[in-house]
Amino acid sequence: MSNLHLDAVGKTYGRKTIFDAVTTHVPIGLTLLTGPSGAGKSTLLRILATAERPSHGKLSWKGAPLPGAQAQLRRALGYAPQAVDLPDDLTAREFAMHMAALKGLDLAAADAQFGAITNAINLHSDINQRISTYSGGMRRRLVFAQALLGEPELIILDEPTAELDSHTASLLETLIVERAAKASVVMTTHASAQLTSHAAANWRVEGGQVVPT
Amino acid sequence: MSGVTVARSAMSVSLRRYSRSWGLWLLLLVAPIGARFMIARDDGSGMQVAIGGHLPVMTSATLGVCLGIVVSTLLLPVAFLYLRSNVTRRNPWQVDEVSGASRAAIMLGRFAADAVVLLASLTALTAAGWLLGWQIVTGPFQPGWIALPLWLVAAPALIGLAALRQLLDSRPLGRRGFGELIFFILWMTALVVPIVVSERPSSFAVNMIDYTGFVRPLVAGSPGGDTDFSIGGGEIKPGRVPLDAERGISAQGYVGSRLAWVAVAIALSALASLVYAQHSAPRRSRLAGLASRLLANGPPPPLMAAAPAAPASGYPLATLLLAEFRLIGTGKLFLYLAIAAALLALLPDFRHLGSPAGLLLLVFSLTAHAGRSEARGLRHLTATTATPPPVRRAALVFAGTAWAILLSLPAALATWSIDPIVLGAATGGAAALIAGLLAMISGSGFAARMVLLILWYVYLST
Repeated sequence: MSNLHLDAVGKTYGRKTIFDAVTTHVPIGLTLLTGPSGAGKSTLLRILATAERPSHGKLSWKGAPLPGAQAQLRRALGYAPQAVDLPDDLTAREFAMHMAALKGLDLAAADAQFGAITNAINLHSDINQRISTYSGGMRRRLVFAQALLGEPELIILDEPTAELDSHTASLLETLIVERAAKASVVMTTHASAQLTSHAAANWRVEGGQVVPT
Repeated sequence: MSGVTVARSAMSVSLRRYSRSWGLWLLLLVAPIGARFMIARDDGSGMQVAIGGHLPVMTSATLGVCLGIVVSTLLLPVAFLYLRSNVTRRNPWQVDEVSGASRAAIMLGRFAADAVVLLASLTALTAAGWLLGWQIVTGPFQPGWIALPLWLVAAPALIGLAALRQLLDSRPLGRRGFGELIFFILWMTALVVPIVVSERPSSFAVNMIDYTGFVRPLVAGSPGGDTDFSIGGGEIKPGRVPLDAERGISAQGYVGSRLAWVAVAIALSALASLVYAQHSAPRRSRLAGLASRLLANGPPPPLMAAAPAAPASGYPLATLLLAEFRLIGTGKLFLYLAIAAALLALLPDFRHLGSPAGLLLLVFSLTAHAGRSEARGLRHLTATTATPPPVRRAALVFAGTAWAILLSLPAALATWSIDPIVLGAATGGAAALIAGLLAMISGSGFAARMVLLILWYVYLST
């Protein structure tokens, strides 16, 4: 079963083709995206997250083509890009509530859920601190936590465990595996035994192609 | 590595970044196009430089003086805004603060790049002035006498601005919104103080007080040393008066003071490197420690480890509005200042006391929130949420208006009148709209804060 389909999707920047004619679907469960640096993994994730449009081809969400169905997809999306310009003058909790409001979630419930998520990834004690005091790893976990707010059916994660020590990375991976039981999770990551064993699909981006492995 | 090499590298990197931004080309384009509007027509339209209520006879030198005065007074905030919001607002301080390169060399290099860019726009304006002068001047068309007064008046002010930018960037407070407030105060001071001393005889010392350089060319050049002059707008009487701009800029000590201001600017940018504070190592004074305790956010809320997934809000627009309202008023400092503004609103003359106080607070909080929401690196995340960006921006305007109404409520209750609420809604709504629009265009809160501070001053002083 799948909600998100890609039909001959390609991306070019000027004359450079990043990838070409990708036709596939995103299954429920965990999809791992691998490939060398600069192969286009993040570009593909941005397209799946509607942050960028494909140069050609089309995406469809629950059978309806984008951009017509973009609003429905966004209501079901949790997205953690690799680099986010986090507002340093806010606390993590204030930022999370900002994102919850933009996602159209109930704020009181989102606040409680944010507490639970951050507790699971060892961030809870710092959520009332300003983001300016956060380390790179804490910022990464905050971006991850906001992506899980609500109950997104499609979760796109770009290198969520980069900059994290192995213990903290495994905490995130546990949450990812839990969510993948009922949602489509697409993520880029380095080799992880825990994730690989739970993956429903493995895609490799290389040489302008996205191939299942 | 020699200091000269470092300074040259810092300058060339900054110039390369400037040259690749559309903002520079816009600035160079706007200067010549705007030149026509910097000179008043007989009907009073355009930016006026008037003596005794009369426009001056537009000789070549007078044209140069008028263009220079408009740049060094009215357009200085635009130039500051450009410097603070352009591509070089971000520098890789994480690496250059720990490099072995001389801080003074880096800052002088960046100062030189800023000065070059501002002077490039002055060059474009000079060319426009020649074209304009060819068409409109009374008497002989003398390109040199257009360029000389223009550069003498405006160039030191612009070079000083480039130095001020370095000085503000060197201290933690100056890097933030407080930097715009400092500039605003300095700018107002630079406009007002020279007028106070305009009746004193011309000398180097007196002219040094006139950073923007507008007093002497007008006073010493006007018939009988008239000190009744105006810049900007106002009622214009028919007929033009002669202005001997050549005599004005040749007044005792004027040229020396303008050159001295260039030297002061270079010294200021060197000083900036001496007082430079690293980004990552703030020094905490005892007072700062007390302030941080007062402003601390407290511990996290009680944990519900098994909290279920948050459901969709039944009223998403109201939820968004509430979230924007909270984020505009984020932090305890805002709360304390809002209470102070609300108390001021209880005093008489709400229009000139409570309303400007509340509005000033909102200028800072609205631009902070609009700036953070529109940061390009965050927008690519927020744009993928269920809330389209226009709806988010509309929510900012409504939430800002709601804050303004709340701050004017005490005045309404004290006077038992709806007028304060109407005034608060109008000014707060307009401020929120401008903050949202300018932040959307520029991707930060700098431009919005600067423009709103100027409008706030106009509101306060009328």
